[in-house]
Amino acid sequence: MIVPMVRVRVMGPRDLLTPVLGKVQDVGLLHCAPAPEAGPLRVNALTPAQTRRRRQLLRILDDVESVLAEATDAPGTAAASAPDCPRWARLARGTRRALARMGDRLSRLQEEQALLTRYQGFFAAFEALLAARSIQPGVSAFHVVLRADQADALPALERALIEHLGDASEILSRRLPGGETALLLLVPASRAAGVERLLAETRVQEVPVPSGYGTSLLDAVPRMRARAAALPAELEALRRERDDLLRGPGAELRRARAVLRDQLAQLDALGLATVTPNFFVLDGWLPAGSEPRLTRALEREFGATVVVEVVDRAHWEGQDAPVVLRNPRLFRPFEVVTGMLPLPRYGTIDPTPYVAVFFPMFFGLMLGDAGYGALVALLALVLHRRSAPGTTLRSVAEVAGPCALFAIIFGLLFGEYFGDLGHRWLGLEPIWFDREEAIVPFLVLTLGLGLVHVLLGLVLGVLAGAREHPRHAIGRGISAAMILLILVAILGAVEVLPRAVLTPAVVALLVAFPVLIVLEGIVAAIELLTALGHILSYARIMALGTASVMLAIVANRLAGAMGSVVVGALFALLFHLVNFALGLFSPTIHALRLHYVEFFGTFYSPGGTRYEPLGHWTPRATPTA
Amino acid sequence: MSILWVTLSAALAIGIPALATAWAQSRIGPAAAASLAEKPQLSTTVIILVAIPETMVILGFVVSILILLRGEPA
Repeated sequence: MIVPMVRVRVMGPRDLLTPVLGKVQDVGLLHCAPAPEAGPLRVNALTPAQTRRRRQLLRILDDVESVLAEATDAPGTAAASAPDCPRWARLARGTRRALARMGDRLSRLQEEQALLTRYQGFFAAFEALLAARSIQPGVSAFHVVLRADQADALPALERALIEHLGDASEILSRRLPGGETALLLLVPASRAAGVERLLAETRVQEVPVPSGYGTSLLDAVPRMRARAAALPAELEALRRERDDLLRGPGAELRRARAVLRDQLAQLDALGLATVTPNFFVLDGWLPAGSEPRLTRALEREFGATVVVEVVDRAHWEGQDAPVVLRNPRLFRPFEVVTGMLPLPRYGTIDPTPYVAVFFPMFFGLMLGDAGYGALVALLALVLHRRSAPGTTLRSVAEVAGPCALFAIIFGLLFGEYFGDLGHRWLGLEPIWFDREEAIVPFLVLTLGLGLVHVLLGLVLGVLAGAREHPRHAIGRGISAAMILLILVAILGAVEVLPRAVLTPAVVALLVAFPVLIVLEGIVAAIELLTALGHILSYARIMALGTASVMLAIVANRLAGAMGSVVVGALFALLFHLVNFALGLFSPTIHALRLHYVEFFGTFYSPGGTRYEPLGHWTPRATPTA
Repeated sequence: MSILWVTLSAALAIGIPALATAWAQSRIGPAAAASLAEKPQLSTTVIILVAIPETMVILGFVVSILILLRGEPA
């Protein structure tokens, strides 16, 4: 449900505005809002000094956040005993710069390590070639690597060298593990330029000696080997140094972050107040029933000089009020489903309790297999164990639990245990009906559920709009009644209900239709047809459910269809895995869609503002700056 | 009714909507991916948009099954 709010107005002498804001922040209940300008009251625009201070705080906070983003140890939020912004600014800036320098050095070393690793094979091969043949003065060495697909280039290169240099050149080659060929070309130094041209013409590239290791490969290889051996220790030392740097100021910077955010939040709230030369007014919302807490706290601190007044409901618009959802423990995880859409507007309906009932039911109806349901329960259990309380992952685990329960219940009702395995092996029969055979009853069941769901949405739409848009609400009510009348007429026509109900139902429809058009215009007729289409859309539950059971049965039949029992069992297992993955994904997407499009479309009004009271920042709180 | 016509009708009832759904999703998919790259917060809208054309093939599947069930040759 959406928690009812009250609008309050805090008033007092202007020189007490900052201390009052400090106290309001300590209480942590008031969601500050811009107060209207009236008479001598003007918006309390920040002074140039306050604006400068805000900019400065934002700059320091940016440095602090940047340093803390690198810190990996457990967060802490101890309150600062003595805020010391200049020191924090120096500390954060200095640490940020030192971290940036270390980061650069670390990436350079990592790049060097990657380069040495990449060239290790090449240079080991050349080293072996060089060891086999000493290079005399006046001889130039070329180090060439031929890719695996250039193997035929070697004879061509040999021919070209003999043609140009006669017997003056020598080629030594060695295969590399990756399929390439390392070539060492030894040519007279006077002919080196010609050989370079020749290599370019044959599109064979020389392996360059990485800079910083000497000019010739003969000098470079031992140096590179030594460097490759030294690099891991150097990297480790640098990482340790970085960790030490972060560990030192980490705790203090976390304290600084909390204080800086608090000061920024207070400055922002300062700009929302309205003032006269001697007086201030601070407007805001808090959850109904909690206003005495704020009043008492301010009274204790400032006595009768600061007054808290509750603004009458008639003087504020519901659309301006912030929204906070509060649901019973059982329904709360489903806020993650509604949370994927913008918050509902204040004064409308929070759909979470309805989602908590229908979402797992639709999921269970689509999956509808006790075996798969047990697997989903197992997954939910693992997710629950591996997630921290309050995280999205924990909510997903808690949503998956009821989904698994419904899948198991419907699996028992439909007699499905990994498809027809329960029937084949244990002779288990469906308690309700067999989805493989009873396709039409299953279709009727899903359409019936769709009817209930869409009608519920229309009724909720009537309730939500009754106060602000009564005409529209009546129109929705008539639409809901007409859908019911259409159902009665159809059931009467096919003689499921007595045929006598057909004529009154049709007459009532003929009367209701013009009333609907008068109330809401011709669009209402289209909306009515859309609602009927939405009900038909619930047939997807039957379609996906039938597809799921058919795939499971095919998986079981595969086991018998293969020549070998082992191969058959493996194929069946693989097919079941695929079906299970589909069974997790498709029902989730389609249950979401049925809620977002078919159900929410009839009553949901998004656009609410999140309730963010002025309070002390904690790592889980929403950033205010 | 000949079994040929029944099966052909059922195949067309699901085949044509399946092609239509595929065509619609092929247009929505790239646009959705591009939107998500710029605004990841649109993921819910994208899921809904991609799932909307599936209604056609699902209703086609239902009609196809009904044709097969009702059109069994006497």
